[in-house]
Amino acid sequence: MKVFIVPPNSLILFDLVERYGHEPLSLMGAIHERVTNPEIESPPVNVTPEDVKKGLKYAGIEVPSGIRGRLAVWGPLVDQADAAIIMDDAPFEFGCVGCHRTDEMVRYYIKKRKIPHIVVRYPTNEDEAKAMVAKIKEFLEGLK
Amino acid sequence: MAKETETRMIVISPSSSVTPDQVTRTVHSLGLEITVKETCYGAMIEGSKEDVHKALAAIRNLDPERIFTKVRGVPIGDARRCRAHHGSRPGFTQLEKEWECLRLVDKGVSAASRGETVCEVPRPKRIPVKRLKEIVDEVSK
Repeated sequence: MKVFIVPPNSLILFDLVERYGHEPLSLMGAIHERVTNPEIESPPVNVTPEDVKKGLKYAGIEVPSGIRGRLAVWGPLVDQADAAIIMDDAPFEFGCVGCHRTDEMVRYYIKKRKIPHIVVRYPTNEDEAKAMVAKIKEFLEGLK
Repeated sequence: MAKETETRMIVISPSSSVTPDQVTRTVHSLGLEITVKETCYGAMIEGSKEDVHKALAAIRNLDPERIFTKVRGVPIGDARRCRAHHGSRPGFTQLEKEWECLRLVDKGVSAASRGETVCEVPRPKRIPVKRLKEIVDEVSK
């Protein structure tokens, strides 16, 4: 099954989803298609005007273009997803995914689609890590 | 670049005794048509999906619970990201943080593979303002 992960470029979630036998839907996969597609507009523009129009499906015109641009990439992944795993408490310096409004809209969209999903936290100690992995494993093994 | 290619990041947990050099040597010894680049956190490999997955299976065998992997968006040496071309690395802070976290996550993976039963640990709550004021009063006496 296809599992969407939040943060969408998380190494931990990508690995765990694949480890337990499912296909992770990640930001890196979507970006890979864009940057290696010969029809893309001249680099380093990874988001085309077409993408921004696609973003309108997920956010209104009054929403800042940065959010719409991100949702143009993440939104179709949520559409394809059969399940989702959300990891909370990501540090504020989480690089290119550090847009809180996009994050909120993606969570809203996951809930709106009513696909099975779980929310876990970034572990801060060994016991939390064990509980997190066990919860993810149980969730993924329960998907049919 | 052909559509079927895949670029993967191989990240070794800090608690593993495997070195990036071992990973790259393992990939070279397989004789597959893939590009491998040794990095500080592990390695990057790139090639056809089939070959990359064969290599991944061999790499994971080195330390199954302490080697993690994810797809990379941009190809190896891409001028937009490669440091040799002064490319930006917007995802590096996240990779660094998650790499630090791997020493905890690998314990979780080991526990899960052993079938260990674990219960969720509630996080300690924040100190109420009233208690904080009491502590400040005690200290400032």
